[in-house]
Amino acid sequence: MNQFVLCHNTASELRLFPHIIEIGVIKNPAIRLNGFPCEIDRCLKLYYIQEGKFEWCINDRSYTLFPGDVALILPGTEFGNESNVLEIGCFSWIHLQVGKNEKGELENPAWSSLSDTESYAINKILQSDHTPILQKFTDAGVILKGIQTELFKQEIGFQARVNHLIDEIFIQVSRQFTRMSNPGRDFPKTFMKLEQELRQNLSHQWTVEEMAALVGLGTTLFNEKVKSYSGFSPLNYLINIRISEAIKLLKIPNISLTDIALDTGFYSSQHFSTTFKKLTGYTPSEFRKNHIGTN
Amino acid sequence: MECIITIELGTNAVRVYAFDLNGNIIGSLKGYCPTFHSEPDYSEQDPDQIFITMLYVLKNLLNEVLHPKKYKVLCICFSSSMHSVLAVDKRGNPMGKAITWADNRANKEAAKLKNSTLGKKIYSATGTPLHPMSPLTKIAWIKNNEKEKFKQVSKFLSLKAYILQQLTGEYVIDYSIASATGLLNIHKIKWEPESLKFAGITAAMLPDLVPVDTKVGKLNKAYQASLGLSADTKILVGSSDGCMAVLGDGVNGEGVATITVEDSGAVRVVSDKVMQDDKQRFFNYLLTENKYISGGPTNNGGVIFEWFTRQFGDFKNPFDLEHTMLELINDASKVPAGSDGLIFLPYLLGERAPIWNPNARGVFFGINIKHEKSHFVRSAIEGILYEIYSIGKTLEEHRTINSLSINGSFGTLPFFTQMVADIYNKPVRLRQNYQSVSYGSYLLSATEMGIYKSLDEAAKTVVLPDLATPDKQNNKMYLKYFKIFERLSTKLASEFADIAALQHQ
Repeated sequence: MNQFVLCHNTASELRLFPHIIEIGVIKNPAIRLNGFPCEIDRCLKLYYIQEGKFEWCINDRSYTLFPGDVALILPGTEFGNESNVLEIGCFSWIHLQVGKNEKGELENPAWSSLSDTESYAINKILQSDHTPILQKFTDAGVILKGIQTELFKQEIGFQARVNHLIDEIFIQVSRQFTRMSNPGRDFPKTFMKLEQELRQNLSHQWTVEEMAALVGLGTTLFNEKVKSYSGFSPLNYLINIRISEAIKLLKIPNISLTDIALDTGFYSSQHFSTTFKKLTGYTPSEFRKNHIGTN
Repeated sequence: MECIITIELGTNAVRVYAFDLNGNIIGSLKGYCPTFHSEPDYSEQDPDQIFITMLYVLKNLLNEVLHPKKYKVLCICFSSSMHSVLAVDKRGNPMGKAITWADNRANKEAAKLKNSTLGKKIYSATGTPLHPMSPLTKIAWIKNNEKEKFKQVSKFLSLKAYILQQLTGEYVIDYSIASATGLLNIHKIKWEPESLKFAGITAAMLPDLVPVDTKVGKLNKAYQASLGLSADTKILVGSSDGCMAVLGDGVNGEGVATITVEDSGAVRVVSDKVMQDDKQRFFNYLLTENKYISGGPTNNGGVIFEWFTRQFGDFKNPFDLEHTMLELINDASKVPAGSDGLIFLPYLLGERAPIWNPNARGVFFGINIKHEKSHFVRSAIEGILYEIYSIGKTLEEHRTINSLSINGSFGTLPFFTQMVADIYNKPVRLRQNYQSVSYGSYLLSATEMGIYKSLDEAAKTVVLPDLATPDKQNNKMYLKYFKIFERLSTKLASEFADIAALQHQ
């Protein structure tokens, strides 16, 4: 593929794709000073190395990238070469406009055909704490090339194809991240990581699909593994954590039962109350009275 | 129909079993509880999550198995891991998480005490090795490092004491768990004043001391209702998992030792006498007023083989540890006893008995060009069991051991059991199918209910059907290598210290 750059406000090819801020390929034959500054942007960036060796800085950490490597730069992350140098080699990239909700989570964009649940899980994976580099991930290069071809040829159905391919990148990149962080050997460790994730977002209405995605398993195998390891189905394990956390909150005065219910992921204080009583025999307010007294 | 429920509060899971009055299992369920490591040396569990998990699992077992078959629950008997500490305030509410046996934050407190005259005195009075596992040193750590919190503490409980208090409103601790705190004088069965002073607490800050067959109050009404249990269901305080495993294997007198190999492991003997060891290598825990369970624990049991499998096993399916492990064992079985001279020291987690060296580390020794992967697998297993043997061998300085019983998820793997028989050169009895700890709880309950006249009689009824007999040829081979294993374990002490210091940087 030859060099090119398409920018959203100038390129007619991107007219139908307002979410593609920039897409391009560069072949750089000589070191270029003042060619690759460290910058913070609001878009999500994905780089794929084809040739050469690049020293890039992402969020104050430097990484060396080789052919086949992918760098994923989330919105608001500083990225570039520390000395503002563009090194010799060839790479392709895409910059995408992605919205964030008030919690700072990436939103499921309108053009995407991912369901909200899938998109939530993928964004969770992308935003979880891991290295921004995927090594030897040539699939990403192939997909990027596919997007470029579609954009230039504009054959029938290309609008849908481009958007599908962008989804495809997200899907493959997040799968690769989970494979990388869960090599499929240490279930206790993997389960522990999942449990931490659940606790940090207890108010979220987790689905089994989302949980399985975080671990990098299909739901059937995920259900089976969780059941045999924990004795509970994934959703029952979640209720277990919810009630355990609620018990701690009930012992703190001045937090309303409704707040406790919603913070720990129950639909309503009624739902909380029923579940709590079914298990413990006490209503939440009785339980609270027993443990912190009437005062 | 009537039944007995046993509840085991373990480090990784709550296990609930239901037995009929003859000791047959009617049903069992487990529920996982995580251990949290907020700092490298910390190991904590959430008391409320354990409580909820326990309720949840118990309720499921009742609703799925016992209530549909119209079983009446006569008794619920508890056991738990030893050495946990949970600080509660004046309302009995937890002040943070519970510290488990595996927590090492009290390293300094333990090391200082161990080398002092006070330490020797406390060890011979309490029978608990001076080690960060011991609640004595953990409470001292809180006193020294969390002064504000320490002032607010109303009581220091064990996890089991907390669970029982939640269920019944009573604060109790049984002799077994209490004897593993380093705070109990095991000769007088009273809290030891020197220990209390060292920990900076009074006896009033500990639960009431009771024998293991004590009935603890009544189940709170709300739990009676939610579980569907009657008010006359007996709640038995029970014992520790270690003591229950010994009882459950029917080991009750001299001449027999019980080996447990779970993630960690232990070798234990029973006697009516305390085992006094000048080098402070053994624990002495109480089962009843006059029955002492003495022995030594290892950190490096099955967890080491699991580690090995995760690193070097060939995983055909994601997370299929069990199958991968069995394939490795199959590889190992093709190599002769002694792994053609490859020796493994399994001390990846430091070690307790008999070397008591937290700095000890793993070693492969004697590698030559002919060794293959399968030699490494076999020597890993041999190393884990040499360590188990080194505990038994030191115990034999004090007691005669003619035969062994073995339990635990790793110990009962046939390859492991046979190897134990060969290394010890003693017959090994084992029971498949269910856990010795729960069966011990059943025996205790049945004795309390009058089905057996005494624990002695109950223990005598235990039949361990399977037997592994030692292979003399293999034994000769193992002993040659064991001598080198034993020497390396102590000889490398200064190198262990140096490498541990570097690793801590």
